[in-house]
Amino acid sequence: MKEETRELIRNLTEAFGPSGQEEQVRELIASLMRPHVDGVRTDALGNLICTRGARRVGTAGGPAATAGRPGAAGTATAEAGAGGGKKVMLAAHMDEIGIIVTHIDDKGFLRFGTIGGVMPHRCLGQRVVFANGTVGVFGHEKLDDPKDLKFERMFVDIGASSRAEAEEKVRIGDAAAFTRPLERAGNRLVAKAMDDRIGCAVLVEVARRLGTSPHEVYFVFTVQEEVGLRGARTAAFGLAPDVAIAVDITLTGDTPKAETMEVSLGKGAAIKVKDASLICHPGLRRSLEETARAHGIAYQLEILERGGTDAGAMQLTREGVPAGVISVPCRYAHTPSEMVDEGDVEACIELLVKALEGPLEW
Amino acid sequence: MLGREGMDLEVKEFLEKVTAASGVSGFEGTVASLIREAWAPLADEIRTDTMGSLIARRAARADGGLAPRPAGAGPAAADGPAGTQVAGEGWREAGGRGPLRVMMAAHMDEIGLMVSKIEEGGFLRFTTVGGFDRRVLPAQEVLVHGREDLPGVIGVKPPHLLPREEAEKPYKMEDMYIDVGLEETRVRDLVRVGDPITVGYGCRSLQGELVAGKGMDDRAGVATLHACLQELARLQHPHDVFLVATVQEEVGLKGAVTSAYGIAPDVGVAVDVEFAEQPGLPEDLTVELDKGPVIAVGPNIHPYVFSVLEKVAKEEGIPHQVRVVPGRSGTDAWAIQVTREGIPTGLIGIPLRYMHTSVEVASVADIKRAGRLLARFVMALDAEALACWRWEA
Repeated sequence: MKEETRELIRNLTEAFGPSGQEEQVRELIASLMRPHVDGVRTDALGNLICTRGARRVGTAGGPAATAGRPGAAGTATAEAGAGGGKKVMLAAHMDEIGIIVTHIDDKGFLRFGTIGGVMPHRCLGQRVVFANGTVGVFGHEKLDDPKDLKFERMFVDIGASSRAEAEEKVRIGDAAAFTRPLERAGNRLVAKAMDDRIGCAVLVEVARRLGTSPHEVYFVFTVQEEVGLRGARTAAFGLAPDVAIAVDITLTGDTPKAETMEVSLGKGAAIKVKDASLICHPGLRRSLEETARAHGIAYQLEILERGGTDAGAMQLTREGVPAGVISVPCRYAHTPSEMVDEGDVEACIELLVKALEGPLEW
Repeated sequence: MLGREGMDLEVKEFLEKVTAASGVSGFEGTVASLIREAWAPLADEIRTDTMGSLIARRAARADGGLAPRPAGAGPAAADGPAGTQVAGEGWREAGGRGPLRVMMAAHMDEIGLMVSKIEEGGFLRFTTVGGFDRRVLPAQEVLVHGREDLPGVIGVKPPHLLPREEAEKPYKMEDMYIDVGLEETRVRDLVRVGDPITVGYGCRSLQGELVAGKGMDDRAGVATLHACLQELARLQHPHDVFLVATVQEEVGLKGAVTSAYGIAPDVGVAVDVEFAEQPGLPEDLTVELDKGPVIAVGPNIHPYVFSVLEKVAKEEGIPHQVRVVPGRSGTDAWAIQVTREGIPTGLIGIPLRYMHTSVEVASVADIKRAGRLLARFVMALDAEALACWRWEA
């Protein structure tokens, strides 16, 4: 993996963005995407939608030719239709799991609710950060048994000694996310919010590397996936794509005494068959498999028994959209130490680039 | 034209055919082509939507006092693009006339399994697709849809070789596997992670009107639509009817969500199965088997749709039962009701014993009665009455 890609992943994972408060990530991604696409906009829910018209061999492609041109998307639509290209929506979610302040007591301790799938035992010893940079640590009341650990008995300590002092930094309704720097561990990367900034990183890299393509491609960085696939639902309704592909993490079955699951770290891009949110379009899935085989890209088929992705929402848009998922295998999901393999990430990027450069047919 | 006897036979034959076919959620292609074959001769248009739901349309045949809609394109079976449908004709003015768009949905998918891992020795691990009753999975006969269809069995440990406590406990999913009787290398050639698996085989006749088999949930509903279509073919019906065999109901009502959006009907009716009485179940949770279809009432059901269904059943002397569904109906009706700006929706239940097993028992007589009820419902629907329906007292 190039250092540039690794830096991209570092910047994305270290950014702040619990569901509903994705502003900082959105700004970062918008600045990364602008040089590579024809248009960038934010929709009503906060999804970042980056449009790239079809670019064919022999045409004066490149963002310079079309950037900022009014009606560029319309032109691209006509082109895509004429050349058999498709309107392709790619989705990776910007939001991450976190907590939200529900009460501040007289001593300045914060009680909180959760955003997305946060578990009490995974919070012990962890630090969180608020949008304004305020850092807090998790604490809990006296417990007779570790099994009694529940969010109701936990709090966040931001070092304030009174409610007034706490309220200078944090208000009810402010969200916080885990804070941790990215680390390298051999060929693996460990960070908080790999779910799903690694998907965002894949999309940014695809935008950087994509050559000629007959398709009109929408790179959509969605909001509120962790609280119910909410951003993808409205973005897909607005775009009405012909094909939808989500890029997200998936779990693995390769750690000691793990649950039976056929996905391993380091065995390539995972092409999803099914998760709790959808059964992927079999034709699209086979098309992705054929692309991987044709270009010698390592892949594995994935069945995730719990959890869903943006593809589940995109599939049910309007009259239905053929939807699939390319997953980055990830250990320790929903902890501050989510681990992915660099080779797998590269395989996902490569697979998506080749799929978009091809006819994407089945 | 078939006589009464002939028609009866045909509904049962249809049911036998479609229950024998495989159609695990997400992989309904095989059963869909059988249904298409049976419905195409009676439909003006038949198409498959993006998700795979099969939609047969019969245009209104007579004005019944209403302005006639342009005649259908004839009995062509072309697979028109989704765009050919008129989606959402906007508000119908109060007192407005014209044929209604009536959608009837029954799901053609069945619960099943999916290969999740190939173990050493060629044994297959699996996950469930839809809510299969895990207690009844051991010792089932299955069909693994790999590169070719492979018969298999879900292996069970002999009780003789187990400690007593273990022998008395139900099987856990992680202890179960499928044996297709082939060498590991051959299995790896033919089977891959993600291949769907059908549990059980077809349909057998019990005594009287009862039949037992896999996939009665909801092929009994699909057969109801078939019976309705046959009946409609003999009627000058005043409304456009869209018969939909939906996909992926068992994994979240998905085909109904997208097909209802595409059709944008004025009225929707779902046909699904309903718990029938059996020993050991309380009466208040079940209905009677072979005593007629169930007309559901509750928040999922529009009062006008219910009132027409009940009135027609009484007038036509069709045996029926009314059952209260207090909340989520868990059927396609639940999805159809909240499509677009909202659709007045009804729900017909076919009584069924042993739901979500491979020996579901239904009554052919109930299916035929429900089909006739639906056809007569189309005749009785009144666009003006629907437009004038008022929630306020």
